[in-house]
Amino acid sequence: MKGLTYGAVTRDILRPLFKPSAAYLGLLGLCIALLAWGGYCWFVQLENGLGVAGYQPPVFWGVYITTFVFWVGIGHAGTLISAILFLFRSRWRTGIYRAAEAMTIFAVMSAALFPAIHVGRAWNAYWLFPYPNQRQLWQNFKSPLMWDVFAVSTYFTVSTIFFFIGLIPDLAAVRDRTTGVVRKVYDILSLGWRGTDRQWRHYMAAYGFFAAFATPLVLSVHSVVSWDFAMAQTAGWHSTLFPPYFVAGAIFSGCAMVITLLVPMTKIFQWEDYINLWHFEHLAKMCLLTGAILTYAYGVEHYIAYYSDNVYEWGIFEYRALGDYDWVFVTMVLCNCIIPLLWWVPSIRRSYWGLFIVSIFINIGMWFERYNIIASSLAHQFDPASWVYYTPTWVEWGIMLGSFGWFGMWFVMFVKIMPSVAIAEIKELVRPPLKLDEAAK
Amino acid sequence: MIASTPGSITSAYAHLDCLVEGIDRLQRAGFSNLVVTSPTPRHEIEELLYKGRPSPVRWFTLTGALFGGTSGFTVASLTHANWPMIIPAGKPLVSIPAFIVITFEATVLMGCLFTLIGLITMCRLPSFDLQVEVTDPRFSDDHFGLVINGLADTDAAKVRQILRDTGAIDMAGMELAHA
Repeated sequence: MKGLTYGAVTRDILRPLFKPSAAYLGLLGLCIALLAWGGYCWFVQLENGLGVAGYQPPVFWGVYITTFVFWVGIGHAGTLISAILFLFRSRWRTGIYRAAEAMTIFAVMSAALFPAIHVGRAWNAYWLFPYPNQRQLWQNFKSPLMWDVFAVSTYFTVSTIFFFIGLIPDLAAVRDRTTGVVRKVYDILSLGWRGTDRQWRHYMAAYGFFAAFATPLVLSVHSVVSWDFAMAQTAGWHSTLFPPYFVAGAIFSGCAMVITLLVPMTKIFQWEDYINLWHFEHLAKMCLLTGAILTYAYGVEHYIAYYSDNVYEWGIFEYRALGDYDWVFVTMVLCNCIIPLLWWVPSIRRSYWGLFIVSIFINIGMWFERYNIIASSLAHQFDPASWVYYTPTWVEWGIMLGSFGWFGMWFVMFVKIMPSVAIAEIKELVRPPLKLDEAAK
Repeated sequence: MIASTPGSITSAYAHLDCLVEGIDRLQRAGFSNLVVTSPTPRHEIEELLYKGRPSPVRWFTLTGALFGGTSGFTVASLTHANWPMIIPAGKPLVSIPAFIVITFEATVLMGCLFTLIGLITMCRLPSFDLQVEVTDPRFSDDHFGLVINGLADTDAAKVRQILRDTGAIDMAGMELAHA
């Protein structure tokens, strides 16, 4: 941040706002087209019922739950970067945390679609929440699915509050540089923020508490998601390893997604003074650490299955690696365990192309990891007579692609209407304007 | 040009060290009704104005967390008591391990929501009606604002002298009394 001034920070970060280029509109159009296709596929499912999905007994969890877990996992990095690294006073978080937080919100919004899509009768999805009702029917709070509803909705609420609170001073900076109706809109969004001493004092105290609340959520949300599986008796799922394994995987995929999104943004908006290889190298190292934990978890779960001498347990792990789903297993290991090792080579993790390409492989690998866990275990349960091979239909693939369009649409809109780098926090890192410095010149 | 309201003098500073000196000298001269506006939080300013006193927002946080934890566990327990399923193997109706997750999530959720209420209340948000002198757009960019409120006409000259001596680049207010 050497050589930067407060004025330059405001100017540079607000520069990309409001002026959409043809390429930008094309990208937004592509996202909306994907979303429209996903919407059409969902419409087909609503009209015809869940039969249009590839479900067949005993496989009733498939692409929808896989994609749900994938998006919840992606949503981890934002809060990890914004909350945990804030508490650790990590300086490299400042440039990237805003975009990572936005990614979190949009990823959880994408994840939230899938329980409703998965249950088929989406209009009854509100039954998931406890509300006073005539028949005194209540949810089973001992069910991990119920825990999941609470965990994901709490995570979404807390992350959204944290994101919005962080945005308030920057929205005020946008307001002060706009006119007319736009100014009025930003004034309302920033709640009339003026940056007075009183406001900053309470703001900083509250921000610390939000970070402290969000920190355990980073670890708890995917632990609870993992219990959706681990609490069941299904072979390949019933394991105490799942919570740390899922959390490591979530941080791994989330950091990779941050790299995927921010590398092109940094180049397009010329933000290299604020987000550069120094930040990306830290993210890559985070991926190397969590990727190593994940690889260890893959090894441990196979070894424990073998060592347990339980034929059902070992049977499923043998089936995953060598059975009908071997291609899924190979994709997962290749993308999550082998390809990220390239980042041990400094020249690769310090190159934008090296970062971008490897991060794409991690995103793919992490989707297949969830597919590997869900599809293989359900398709190959205790009773051999019920074994099937689950194949997703075009409707399921369409809805999954639509969720990428949904996520992309929000993110692409976000970068044009909100400051994607935290102006006020970057200014905390920049040397303030001092008379002393001017006198020294 | 910055604005001001009666009984107030408004100033703008381009340098943080000048602002800090200005606040310090004003306080030593007995002027404590100050409003400082800055583009980013600065510990130097908070230390001078609040002398390390913690924000009361923390009490909102504690109340919310306690309320959330208690209500989460209570809702889970009462709903199960309301529909008592006969569970074999002597498993309890109110199960502490199973309800820990709900209790934890409710603690975090309510703690956060109450902190938000605390923040909004203590910051007096939305603050659309703040005094006009703190609305200068430079204060969200690269300048600092310093407003001295509750001044008597006789104080104006002294305050303006301090502001001038400490390097304020722009001043407004109380001119008529000394024109």
